[in-house]
Amino acid sequence: SMSARERIKAIQKMPETMKKKREISCLLRLIFSLSLSLSSLALQSYRRFRNSLSEYFHLLQLWQKTLKAIGGKFGTGVLSYFIFLKWLLTFNIFSFLINFSFITIPQFVAAKPNNLSFTGLEIFTGAGYFQETVLYYGFYTNTTIRKTENSASYNMQLAYIFTVGIYFVICLLSLVFSMAKSFRRNFINPQTYSGQASKLLCTWDFNITNEKAVKLKQKNLSTQIKEALFEVNREVLNFSFKERFVHFVIHLAAWVASLGTAVAACAGVYFLSINNLQLFMKGHKNDLEGQAAMLVLPIVASLLNAFIPFFYSWLGLLEHFQNPRHQIYVTVTRNIILKISIIGILCYYWLNIVSASESQCWETLVGQDIYRLVLVDFIFCLLGCLFGEFVRRIIGTTVCVNLGMPEFDIARNVLDLIYAQTLTWIGIFFSPLLPGIQMITFSIVFYVKKVSLMMNCQPPRKVWRAAQMTTLFIFLLFFPSLVGVLSVIAVTVWRLKPSKECGPFRGLSSIYAAISVWIEILKNYPGSKWVVWIYQNLFQGALFFFILSTILLIVTYLYWKIIEGRKSMVKLLRKHIVNVSLTCNFGFFVDCLILL
Amino acid sequence: CILNYTVFTKHVQDKFMSDCSMTGAFFLLVYRLHGRYHEMAPNVVPMDYTKDPDVKLPMQLIINMPELKENPFKERIVESFSEDGEGSLSFNDFVDMFSVLSEMAPRELKAIYAFKIYDFNTDNFICKADLEKTLNKLTREELTAEEITLVCEKVIEEADMDGDGKLGFADFENMISKAPDFLSTFHIRI
Repeated sequence: SMSARERIKAIQKMPETMKKKREISCLLRLIFSLSLSLSSLALQSYRRFRNSLSEYFHLLQLWQKTLKAIGGKFGTGVLSYFIFLKWLLTFNIFSFLINFSFITIPQFVAAKPNNLSFTGLEIFTGAGYFQETVLYYGFYTNTTIRKTENSASYNMQLAYIFTVGIYFVICLLSLVFSMAKSFRRNFINPQTYSGQASKLLCTWDFNITNEKAVKLKQKNLSTQIKEALFEVNREVLNFSFKERFVHFVIHLAAWVASLGTAVAACAGVYFLSINNLQLFMKGHKNDLEGQAAMLVLPIVASLLNAFIPFFYSWLGLLEHFQNPRHQIYVTVTRNIILKISIIGILCYYWLNIVSASESQCWETLVGQDIYRLVLVDFIFCLLGCLFGEFVRRIIGTTVCVNLGMPEFDIARNVLDLIYAQTLTWIGIFFSPLLPGIQMITFSIVFYVKKVSLMMNCQPPRKVWRAAQMTTLFIFLLFFPSLVGVLSVIAVTVWRLKPSKECGPFRGLSSIYAAISVWIEILKNYPGSKWVVWIYQNLFQGALFFFILSTILLIVTYLYWKIIEGRKSMVKLLRKHIVNVSLTCNFGFFVDCLILL
Repeated sequence: CILNYTVFTKHVQDKFMSDCSMTGAFFLLVYRLHGRYHEMAPNVVPMDYTKDPDVKLPMQLIINMPELKENPFKERIVESFSEDGEGSLSFNDFVDMFSVLSEMAPRELKAIYAFKIYDFNTDNFICKADLEKTLNKLTREELTAEEITLVCEKVIEEADMDGDGKLGFADFENMISKAPDFLSTFHIRI
């Protein structure tokens, strides 16, 4: 019941605690001198490795300079988009490397000759010549590859499943750890933001180094302060029941409109894709018109993704939110619902309709569809940059001067990245080299966005809470995106029947059957009994999963209790640290030496 | 260049102790910083630090660095890290400054230095005068005196826990803990 100040005074009065404080500071000093000597040793070994690090160092410098320039002019919010893009690029690079090494290179040894001719249109449609290349699932052999008669064999089926499986497990773990780290950093104090004024001391962005940007930020801050003072002085409006009811009806209508648009978009995409499949099955595959018709679906999907968000932003403006942050969250939610439902309906179409169709190789068809979607999305991204930023700047500076230069729309761009990455993840199973293509497109997008940003955009006016939005985006990448992709892959592996005539799993009843067959073979080798045992008891037994879930729940509960205990401990220790650091000085060091 | 560090300050050692996985990145940082420190005054700063030279660069040189030039708090930043309190930085202080301002420094360390930076009269409290100077620097003196007084009073009202009319370090840290963006904004990339 004592206030903090009285408590500190009470602690300061007690003589026994003075001795304890001296001991603590003594220990700290000892550790300092220990680490002094450790660090000099460490530095000597660093000098030896310095030469080998110098080339890697130059590469770091390349990205470092660009990011520094962007952060210096536009602040941490816009910088978080580019850092997110760089992070997604590493996922794609990793996937491409392991797919290429473990799946594609062995396939080159057992490659079939490609009899189709190459016309330029294949780059856009993904069909034609590319159909019989390593780009798609259908080209891979189901045999065990052997270079010569007696050399080691390489089982393509197992390689395919395990490479894709291990990649997704690594992605999952890496996302979970990033989410946990980001959450811990940014939500350590779950209290809501109380107090607008005190955030003044915490919001100056030290990253900004450009003179004009600094001046602009100072101007914006003073405008915000003036607005905030005006709001405080104004009376708090008490809405009557009628007004609240009207607001509620407006919000409801807006949600109905946005969900209705999403459903309509999905229905449109579904009927267009059914139509597509029928056209394809009729056999107009190889002429120019037929190939161009295949591009209609991706173009329509990208158009819907490009223009419906404008409608959502307009709805958000109509709704007159009390809190502008709510407007951002609601708009992001609506955009995510739209994008996920479009991907969802496409997955439903691929998994239920295309897989049951009578085409020769349905997996390659799905791979081609995804390839086209990815490519058209990339082209629309570049066009969006051109029109959304370049042309908008020209209009804003010459024709309609009060519009001004455009601002970089962080939320919209990050959601586009998440959409593209989700498509790539789905496509990895059907087209193993798709991450390589996405690698190239992401690198091009990075440079194009950077150039467009520098040339056309102005720094953001409102405060963008970069830390919390980054956590939200990582969470969105994890939950609808990766978990959805894993469900799609799970359905493909366990439920669907692979095509009879192409791909590594041709003729099997399901893709998972390849693993069952392998386990059966392993039963005959006495050295691998443990693998068979793990498979039979762990993956096939329901009891195992029940016990695992119970253990996980208990562990989660224990951690929750430990966190609560630690929170109160942190509070106490913080007061103690303040006390110790403010009273620690050289005199204690001398006392420590005497004590020793 | 030849780098032989045998003298670290206690604040750098804090980081070394708390998070040993960061040491690789930290050494890279020190290497880069030595290059920058040297190029600011190539005639004065030696390439060889084995003899532990006693070299300090004056504040004028440091605040002209492109990372600091446009920062409204540049003088205070440099003063907070200089041992003699007048703004001249030895290489130790220079490394301290950029390592506290890097992404490697823990929140507590950044809070300690942010407090020092905003404490203009160095009395270990952020009083009303300090807040007024901070606000002027943040808004480029566009607010009227009345508005500044109002805002400063509101800040002290919201953040002052022990009721002495000024912000102690505990109050400041409490305020920082409610601002999750602090870690990413109190950061200079070098």
